[in-house]
Formats: sequence, C-alpha cells, structure tokens
Amino acid sequence: MTRRSRALVGALALAVPLALSAQATAANTLNSRLDPTTRVAVQAIVDSARRAKLPTAPLVDKALEGAAKHSDGPNIVAAVRQLAVELGQSKRVLGGGASTAELQAAATAMHAGVPSRDIAVLRSAAGPHRRVTLPLAVMTDLIGRNVPVATASQVVVGLARGGAHDSDLTMFERNVRLDIERGADPSAAAQTRARGVMLRGTQRPGTRPPGNQ
Amino acid sequence: MSDDNLFDDGVIERIADELREAERPSADFDARVMASVRGIARARRRERHGLWNRVTQPRTITVRPWRAGLAAAALLLCATLVGWGAHAFARMEAAAPATLASSGSQRIQFVLVAPNAKKVAVAGDFNGWDAQHPAYQAVHRGGGVWSVTARVPVGHHRYSFVVDDSLWVADPTAPRVIDDDFGTTNSAIVVEPEIR
Repeated sequence: MTRRSRALVGALALAVPLALSAQATAANTLNSRLDPTTRVAVQAIVDSARRAKLPTAPLVDKALEGAAKHSDGPNIVAAVRQLAVELGQSKRVLGGGASTAELQAAATAMHAGVPSRDIAVLRSAAGPHRRVTLPLAVMTDLIGRNVPVATASQVVVGLARGGAHDSDLTMFERNVRLDIERGADPSAAAQTRARGVMLRGTQRPGTRPPGNQ
Repeated sequence: MSDDNLFDDGVIERIADELREAERPSADFDARVMASVRGIARARRRERHGLWNRVTQPRTITVRPWRAGLAAAALLLCATLVGWGAHAFARMEAAAPATLASSGSQRIQFVLVAPNAKKVAVAGDFNGWDAQHPAYQAVHRGGGVWSVTARVPVGHHRYSFVVDDSLWVADPTAPRVIDDDFGTTNSAIVVEPEIR
C-alpha cells in the first residue's frame, strides 16, 4: 500500500468515529432536556424546517429555552411551531441570501407585531449590502418599551434609509431606553432621538441626508 | 525531326552529361529538411501525449484486483461518510446551536446589579439555555455587582440572567425581546464579527 493510500485509510478511520460521536451528542441534547412526546413533536418541526431550508438552530433553542424555564410540553411545541412559521415568513421577506441571524431577528420582530411588509421596507431601505440584524433588534426593543409598532418601524426604517450605522443605532437604542427610564413618553423619545441621529448623520461625510433618497 | 536525329550521338551525350552532373541543393535546403523532421516529431508527440488524445484514445489499463477492491471500498466509505456527515451536521446544528451559529465569537461582558442575589448566571441560546454552564456563572464583584465575561458566537442571540437558579431577569442594559412564550422577557444581543 502506498503512503497516500495509508493516509487516506487513516483519515477515514479517524473521521468515522468523529461523525458518529457528533451525531450521538446532538441526539442526546434534545433527549436529555425534553420528555419523549415533546421531543418527537419538536424533532418533527425541526425536520420539516430543515426540508424547507430554514435554520433549525433557533427552533431547538426555543425548545431548550422552554425546558429551562420549566414550561410544559404543549406550550414548548406551540412556541417552536410558531417560530418555524415566523422564520418561513422572514425568509420569504428577506430572501434566500439572508443570514440566520437576520432571519432570527426578523422572526423576533414579527413575533413582536411588526408586519412583514415593514420588514420588507426596512430591507429595501437599508440597501443590498447592509445586514438588517441590528436594525430589527432595535425595532423589536422599541416595541418592547411601549413605542407603538408603526412608530418603531417608521423610525428605524428612516434611520436605515438615512444611512445610520450600527453604532448610531446602538447609541440611539441606549438613549431612548434611558429617556423612557427617566419617565419620557416612549414614542416621543424614539422620534426625538431619531431626529438627533439624522441631524448628526447629515454632518458626516458619506451619509445620506434624510428625505434625499 | 526524324528518328535518326533523336538518337544523334551529340544529343545523347549532352543528356548523359546533364544526368551525370551532381544535384546542387539550394542554400536553405538543410534547414527546410530539418524543420520538416522536427514537425513530424512534434505531431507524433502531440498525438501520444495530448490531453484530448489521452482521454479519447482507447488504451489498455492493467488493474490489480486487490487495488480495485480497495478503491471501491474507499469510494463506498466516502459516500457513506458524506451522508453521515451531512446528517450529523444537521443534527448538531439543531442540538448545539451555540457552537455552530458562526465561525467567529467575541468576548462579551454581562453585568447585573443584584444586591440580594446569592448566585447569578447567564443563560441564552449561546449556551443551550443552561443556567449551570460553568463558563457563564457570574462572580460577585462587590456592592451587589455581578459580572461574567464569556465568549459568544457571532450572530443574533437571546438571553437572560438567572438569579438564584429560579428568577429569570432580562438584562436592563440590553435591547429587549418581546418574547412571552414562556412568561419572561429576554434580552437581545447582536454580536458582530471582529474586525482585524
């Protein structure tokens, strides 16, 4: 046997146990956290999502979260199923090129009440090369802080369209949060802080001024 | 002209002289001959070694039975492994998202002010929502400030603090996730790839 043949056989001999071990570990994770009925139902949803070329990790995460929070089986299955639907809608809106993080952020935004139409508008406003993960997370956060969905959507789309960077959005989210914690009206805080970001943006080279697209 | 004139001695002699005279080749004769010879050699070489000819010309291949068997077994093993690998990857992706969410990760500091807590941990989709995960146990820094710095994969993540193994608390300094599936609000974090 030549040296090359020996190397090939050695590599294959190493790969077989590794592949089998990974498979066993993966199967055990769900087994150890969920009761058999819930596990079978979750696995069926995961398999179905995989066939639809959706990311399956968020679905398993959702099930594990439910188990960690001692939720009952039917509730876990319902949450996982709902997330699968939202991931499918996110993929339709954002397209096949969207990352798992983007799909997950979009699904979370939909769960918070953002219409898929608004997510499509954000996708378009951000431009083809910009990830929309952070804008979606900020949009969801605003809704979580009692900013009306329409206002949150309009503000974040405006910021994305104006060329606001992720660092601008992070600062914006932080300032709105602090304003609300100090007693400001959530909607007014979001709109005022957004106006501030846009004003700063117009003074920065390479940033599109608002209303000029 | 009569037949007698054709065989006139003088004519015959002149023809004979012409024939006896040595052929004088032109100056570039040698070069032209050698070029032709080289051309033939090149054509034969192309015929023998050209990629298309190698592929299309019939040839006899001698194979030792044990080597053919080994090659077939290796091919079968590879095909099986590819199938197993794809299946295993899909299962791993499903069951261990934190390690496969992305190729990169960043060190993130989580801080919670909880003066009355006896134990604080971070649980999220980056550690399988495992509040007992050793890498995500916060340390009391004094004055009620708890913190832990841990690696989080690149991507969008949801997480919570778990106080005293029972109370789920959203990070007050992070974006919120409207996530009432299981009765508590989570926090969101977007980890971007590190720019080198």
